[in-house]
Amino acid sequence: MSFDVLFNQFLSGIARGSMLFLVASGLSLTFGVLRVLNFAHGSLYMLGAFLTYSIWKWLLIPVYGFYVATLLSALVIAGIGLLIEYSILRRLYARGWPEQLLATYALILIITDTVKWFWGGEFLSIPRPEPFTKAVFLFGFPFPSYNFFIIILGLVLVFFLWWLVYKTRLGDIIRAAAHDRDMVSALGIPIPWLFTSIFVLGAFIAGLSGAVTAPYGSIALGMDIEIIVECFAVVVIGGMGSLPGTLLGSFIVGQVYSFGIMYKPELALAFIFMVMAIVLIIRPWGIFGRPER
Amino acid sequence: MEANTTDKKSSWLKSGWWLILLVAAGLAAPYVISEFYLLILGEALIMSLFALSFNLLFGHMGQLPFGQAAFYGLGGYGIAMLLTKYQMNFWLSFVAGIGLAALAGLIIGIFCVRLRGIYFSILTLAFGQLIFVIIYKWHDFTGGDDGIQGVFPPEFLKTSVSYYYFVLLVFCIAAFILWRITHSPFGYILKAMRENSERTEFLGVPIARYQLIAFVISAAFAGLAGALWAPFYRSVAPSTLIWIKSGEPVMATILGGAGLFFGPVLGTFIITFFHAYILGFTHFWPIIMGTLILIVIFFLPGGVLGFIKEKLDNRKKRGQQS
Repeated sequence: MSFDVLFNQFLSGIARGSMLFLVASGLSLTFGVLRVLNFAHGSLYMLGAFLTYSIWKWLLIPVYGFYVATLLSALVIAGIGLLIEYSILRRLYARGWPEQLLATYALILIITDTVKWFWGGEFLSIPRPEPFTKAVFLFGFPFPSYNFFIIILGLVLVFFLWWLVYKTRLGDIIRAAAHDRDMVSALGIPIPWLFTSIFVLGAFIAGLSGAVTAPYGSIALGMDIEIIVECFAVVVIGGMGSLPGTLLGSFIVGQVYSFGIMYKPELALAFIFMVMAIVLIIRPWGIFGRPER
Repeated sequence: MEANTTDKKSSWLKSGWWLILLVAAGLAAPYVISEFYLLILGEALIMSLFALSFNLLFGHMGQLPFGQAAFYGLGGYGIAMLLTKYQMNFWLSFVAGIGLAALAGLIIGIFCVRLRGIYFSILTLAFGQLIFVIIYKWHDFTGGDDGIQGVFPPEFLKTSVSYYYFVLLVFCIAAFILWRITHSPFGYILKAMRENSERTEFLGVPIARYQLIAFVISAAFAGLAGALWAPFYRSVAPSTLIWIKSGEPVMATILGGAGLFFGPVLGTFIITFFHAYILGFTHFWPIIMGTLILIVIFFLPGGVLGFIKEKLDNRKKRGQQS
């Protein structure tokens, strides 16, 4: 195996990992603060992709319409997130987590059916936006330049979340709330407001990641389940609710997937779960996770 | 968790007359209801068994597995593949299907019992999905998304009535065994772990081992439900082991009431018959189901059976006071 093939595969893995980070970071952020595992995160992601398609078609802006549609659709998904948090999840914080899990499971059913209702079961696609339409050649291998857009977006999100969590006052509150919610509340910080804003941010990220996946050419029912299970692998490997963990987990899963597909395409996903099993034997709560109380 | 109502045995639950009545109704059903509803009833019984296998871990042990469909599907695939690909004897295949599910439960359980709470749920989900992916992608061996057709029961079980009686018999035996398990010293240890696993450990109970045993039993019963399902439906498909399917026993159990042994059965019956009824009007069943789940979570925290029991207990209390 020559170096250029390996490098190409590595770069594909980075792109895949970046995509996974886009989706999993929202999931992890929500879990870290709210302690609610949002099963419907993948459904919001799927809804984001479908919405982007419709907005893009409706806008008819020739070149950069995709970017406008992406932003608009992410904002709409954030609005839906607000609705979900305010009308459903807020009433369940005092209850056990099984009910919260079941409620987000119910949301999957509702959102999936709604998507089927509005868009039907067909495959939809958006052409890759300028200036990422062509492939670039690295060591003689074609590499989709759109992958670079995904990698850059992933990096931007990493820096944004790092800045938000470690450099702002909201970040201090987020970290404190993840550690001891009651203490934060006792210090006079309105927890309901914090939870709402984090959930909305998580939904925005879900919508955004769904939107940017649209030009990969696979807007279809079932895309939510496909990615969310890999995201679970990411957060389990990295540690639930930890941002560095999510980053590392995304990197690992992306690479394992990319090299796994080269070795045996049918088993690429199985390799991911094998890695997950190995991590869990050594650290049951993930690489950066904390043992549950 | 509201699950601790199991321990308070009311005389209403203790007196077995309603159970005898239900079994009698089950035996009489083929003479009373149409063939369509008999099929629905059979499906409800199989799904009830699936939900009971889930509730052994959830209601009785306090852990929520979200990968139960994998064991259910493995039971179905086990019997279907041995029957159609290797022309094995029906009963041997049936037992092998259950064995396959139990074996998978053992391997997956070793990893999963190390975790608690939501982490346990995610891990069971991930492993369940792994099994789904393997079966879905391994087209040459498992038929991939085509599934396996032509899974026939033996000649004397081929009519819908005879297979219904077979399902009823297996359900009654399995439910009885599960009931005995939950009311045995082993079952009480599970309950103790649910209430306080740390303290149970201090009492010298090797909790990981007990959880693993419970996990394997649960997987075996889920496999049994799947092995019943495949010949009932004459085929299996990967959709029987996808994680959305794992949500079905969860919602049936919470709808019926996790704290009561027969709660999952009631929940499954409500969902199955409601489903059959709704499909007469619309294909958008999931949207209705999702809304129903939210309504139950908000307005019936103990499930339907928990709600009824609470009302009955209140009435009795009032009767004693006056």
